[in-house]
Amino acid sequence: MKAIIVDDEELARRVLREYLGQEPGMEIVAECANGFEAVKAIAEHEPDVVFLDVQMPKLDGFEVLELIDRRTAVIFTTAFDQYAMRAFDAAAVDYLLKPFGIDRLRAALGKLDRRSKLDVNPAVAPAELRNAARPAGEYQERIVVKETVREGAKVHVIPVGKLDYAEAQDDYVALRSEGRTWLKQQTISSLEAALNPKRFIRIHRGFLVNIDRIARIEPNTKDTWIAVLTDGAKIPVSRAGYTRFNSLIGG
Amino acid sequence: MHPIFQNWKALALYVAVWAPLGAMLGLLISVAGELSAAETAAVIVPVVVVLALVCLAPWYACRALPLKSTPAGRLLGQHLLAAIVVSGAVLFISRALAHTLSGMLTGLDDRFRSASPVLAAMVAMIYLLSIAMHYVVIEAQTSRRSELLAREAQLRALKAQVNPHFLFNSLNSISALTAADATRAREMCIQLADFLRTSLRLGERASIPFGEEMELTRMYLSVEQVRFGQRLRVAIDIEPACNECQVPALVVQPLVENAVKHGIALIDEGGEILMLGRRLKDELRFTIENPYDPLAPSSRSGIGLVNVRQQLEARYGNAARLEVEASPDVYRVTLTIPAGIRGKTTA
Repeated sequence: MKAIIVDDEELARRVLREYLGQEPGMEIVAECANGFEAVKAIAEHEPDVVFLDVQMPKLDGFEVLELIDRRTAVIFTTAFDQYAMRAFDAAAVDYLLKPFGIDRLRAALGKLDRRSKLDVNPAVAPAELRNAARPAGEYQERIVVKETVREGAKVHVIPVGKLDYAEAQDDYVALRSEGRTWLKQQTISSLEAALNPKRFIRIHRGFLVNIDRIARIEPNTKDTWIAVLTDGAKIPVSRAGYTRFNSLIGG
Repeated sequence: MHPIFQNWKALALYVAVWAPLGAMLGLLISVAGELSAAETAAVIVPVVVVLALVCLAPWYACRALPLKSTPAGRLLGQHLLAAIVVSGAVLFISRALAHTLSGMLTGLDDRFRSASPVLAAMVAMIYLLSIAMHYVVIEAQTSRRSELLAREAQLRALKAQVNPHFLFNSLNSISALTAADATRAREMCIQLADFLRTSLRLGERASIPFGEEMELTRMYLSVEQVRFGQRLRVAIDIEPACNECQVPALVVQPLVENAVKHGIALIDEGGEILMLGRRLKDELRFTIENPYDPLAPSSRSGIGLVNVRQQLEARYGNAARLEVEASPDVYRVTLTIPAGIRGKTTA
């Protein structure tokens, strides 16, 4: 069984290394100190299990989860993060509370064995899990995306201020930022829930727009409009979107 | 003793109130009994002095019969009885006085007798008024004390928030060290115990010398340095004159905790926490700087900063300031509080 340990604290990695060393057939294929390394290592090694810390530099555990293959079995580790714990409990995601003993670790591994390999873990979409773990009234300040390059995976961070708009495309959202388009597996509704509603407006079923980018809104047909962005891009506006826009501007 | 004797301003006010009250009483008596000014003064001045003293007695009566818990019948009966007794006693004294003085002032005894009903009624009324005033004062005092108690309880609760995240991560570090480096594991146990004990001890006190607060901060950082290793670096520059200043207990520690949790812990290569302490003319200025990742999901200040701000506001009002500046990569918090002046303890 191939395992990857992801934790920014050397001592926290050491405990897991010690415990996993006592499990027959267990091989640690990588240890990562931040989320960037983790995404890369997981894409490269395709491990059977990832031990993933929640609070880390660069990318936190939830963001890593968004960028890896959803079939990867993940066991979260955290010392105490009440919001994350609440989200894990709600989604029935297994997690280890630091400090934990080897018995608790074995129980978590046992649960993995009983699962079908085809199951996704966790069963909810990563973006939903991340939304559930955020305190009410706080919003996501950045969006992480992954690009597949020749050397493997490359992670990009888009500060939400640099996002022009997002467009729904089947199971994906296309994110438009600084002249580039990024694809990410996420529903537009979960992205909308993650962003500050005062800054991003669902102007159409399929479009979420940065309000600072809207230059003007022109009438189109009787019940539709067109939003012209500062860079000249044109986006359809539905009746409901137009109402939302007006109430946001008016308020 | 009646609290009015502990506050000379209140006592002076009380005496000042009795001057017009006595004059009014004198005027009524002189009209009712057709007394001359000199005769009125001779009787009324000693009576008013006695009455002014007797009217402080409700302080004890009112506390023995609290408004809320005493049945209305008993409350009225007791105070009316007291008013009648006081009125009777004052009447008796003044009649005796008039009788004694009638040797010099002919017919005073008889003329005073006709003024007696007016005097008795007035005294009873004044005494009842005094009872009412005392209830008002006692009520105001009680509500102020409960406000102070509530505020103190709040301060204690804020201080008691030892960050569980810190505690469990430290325990995890100890757990990691146990197998490979038992000596360091034990050291860290002791450091953690020292920190917790000291923060409990200091948290009980309202204000402590700044030097002790910094000592606690150093203990905290030594625990965190085991956890973060080379990633956490610390530079401290505190003027010796700062150490004696009285500061609210556990006012700096949450700021340092923030710098670690929301700053250093979210940067891959870590960084340096810089602390500066300066003694200005009558203020203590403490600055803490840390690098941070402005895009990190939880790089914004947590509950710690809110607590510190509330604590300062409760104690100093506007005299203390907590300023936060966030440049693209440095987060700086500046704390300015009145130096040397012992923070008002709310015991």
